[in-house]
Amino acid sequence: MESRILRPTLGLYAAAFLLFLYGPMIVLTILSFQGPEGGPQFPVQDWSLYWYKQLLGLSEASRVAQLPVGDSLLRSITLAFMTTVVSTVLGVMSAEAFRTRFKGSGPAFYLIILGMMVPGVLVGLGMALLSSTLGISRAWWGTSFVLHVVYTYPFAFLVMLAIFNRFDRTVEEAALSLGVSPAQTFRRVTFPIIFPGVLSAMLFSFTLSYDEFARTLFTAGRDLTLPLAIYGTFSVEIHPNIFAFGVLTTLFSFTLLVIYGLLMKRFTNRAARFAGQEDNG
Amino acid sequence: MTALSTDSPMPTETSPAQLRERKDRRRAWLLLSPGLLWMALFMVLPMCMVVYVSFWTQTTFSVNSTLTTASWERFLGSATYLHAIGTTLRVWAIVLAATLIVGYPVALYIGLFVRNKTLQTALLVACVIPFWTSFLIRVIAWRPMLGTEGAINTILMKLGLIHEPLTFLLFSEFSVLVGMTQIYCVFMVGPVTFMIGRIDPSVIEAARDLGASFGTIFRRIILPLSLPGVMVGAIFVSVMVLGEFATAASLSGRKVNLLGNIIVSQVGSLKWAFAAVAGVVLTLIITAVIALALRIVDLRKEM
Repeated sequence: MESRILRPTLGLYAAAFLLFLYGPMIVLTILSFQGPEGGPQFPVQDWSLYWYKQLLGLSEASRVAQLPVGDSLLRSITLAFMTTVVSTVLGVMSAEAFRTRFKGSGPAFYLIILGMMVPGVLVGLGMALLSSTLGISRAWWGTSFVLHVVYTYPFAFLVMLAIFNRFDRTVEEAALSLGVSPAQTFRRVTFPIIFPGVLSAMLFSFTLSYDEFARTLFTAGRDLTLPLAIYGTFSVEIHPNIFAFGVLTTLFSFTLLVIYGLLMKRFTNRAARFAGQEDNG
Repeated sequence: MTALSTDSPMPTETSPAQLRERKDRRRAWLLLSPGLLWMALFMVLPMCMVVYVSFWTQTTFSVNSTLTTASWERFLGSATYLHAIGTTLRVWAIVLAATLIVGYPVALYIGLFVRNKTLQTALLVACVIPFWTSFLIRVIAWRPMLGTEGAINTILMKLGLIHEPLTFLLFSEFSVLVGMTQIYCVFMVGPVTFMIGRIDPSVIEAARDLGASFGTIFRRIILPLSLPGVMVGAIFVSVMVLGEFATAASLSGRKVNLLGNIIVSQVGSLKWAFAAVAGVVLTLIITAVIALALRIVDLRKEM
């Protein structure tokens, strides 16, 4: 059979692909342990944690200016948190609306999806023009924030739409016909079922907003968010402290991912236990 | 259905089903309105503003709302800007082709040849993990990879394959293309894997039993059934590549100017009207590309 040659060939190809995906990050990680005199290239002078210390402000008197990450990190996390809350609420509401077929659902669907399609540099420019015309001052918690929601809300919406598509409507109807109020039904029946989806929508929104750069560039005003601060250092010569920063932020993201995984696991465990009780009774 | 009765002046005749439908519709619009309002105010309105400002009068450091086509004339009459349109289209076409060529075999492998579900999921997760590194860091990571003292040149020199470091690798169009392909090819791999994974194995088995070679099976079954995935992937990649500027700004050493870069540099020098013109041109290109793709595939049906 031809697949006897084809399968290993494609397997090798996939392995090469993974190397292509991870190669730059591996090189970056290696170079982040560069010695104090080394530059952002090979060879590694001597292995050290110097650039990590420099990044955290623990090394005295450096030839390289410290990365301006402190305040901007706090701003980015706050912004991502605000975006997460608003876009998840909007996403759940819109997906709930799409459970019934109604006239105009097609255009409404595409209007929402457009938010993740339209390039950040374009809406960013439009927002900057709009705010300067209306005399609104630009700020990360205002003009940037609304654009971040425009971007993340479609993702939350799609995640919730996928959840609602697999969701048995009769469970809710049973609760309603037993005389439970709609609000109570949502809290006690609907929400527990869609919770894993809500968690995924939140994870999506947070990571997208936290890393968003194009939409923030023209709209953040004076105070920079983290990606803007990083971008600012690109125009001048780069140093291994950026590499150390890249490694640390990746670790931070993985921590978020682990928290998400733990929450998800705890939730599914509880659901399983609950189902077990039902069976026993 | 009694659709005609809604036009009659007797509302008492509406059936309970119709009443319920009407109530459902009102509820749906009520739930949708905050989201749609948000999109109208913060996405549609800014985009209209871009079109509007592209006709404003540009003075040295500011714009005023006297309408003129001067910015358009200057844009369309300038070789630099027209060249940027060409570069944008060229980079888009090459990156799109590259993500397809790089991504399709991988999707074929994961979707068709890996039958173990756990391994399949593990491979897909492995493709997504790099996204937890900041976009800008992933872009800048290509510098120590491609530079004259970077990993590739170091390895090639150690192997004795070259004696002088290759200089075309970094700060060229090549580095922009490689960087974009690496960053965006996952958006091609995902949808294509999904579509290939959905192919019923018994169809392929039947074709094989009937004596079809793998080439025939691929051409007649796998390729047509995976095409919607390719189109969805192409839309994702196109939209992101066309709106790009950060990769070109940090890897090309100012040699590659995409429309996105034009917008950024014009805003930097307070030429708002020119930036708006570039924005409208970019919007037109993206709209054309999406419209073309949507004619071939219905996005809503595929999701």
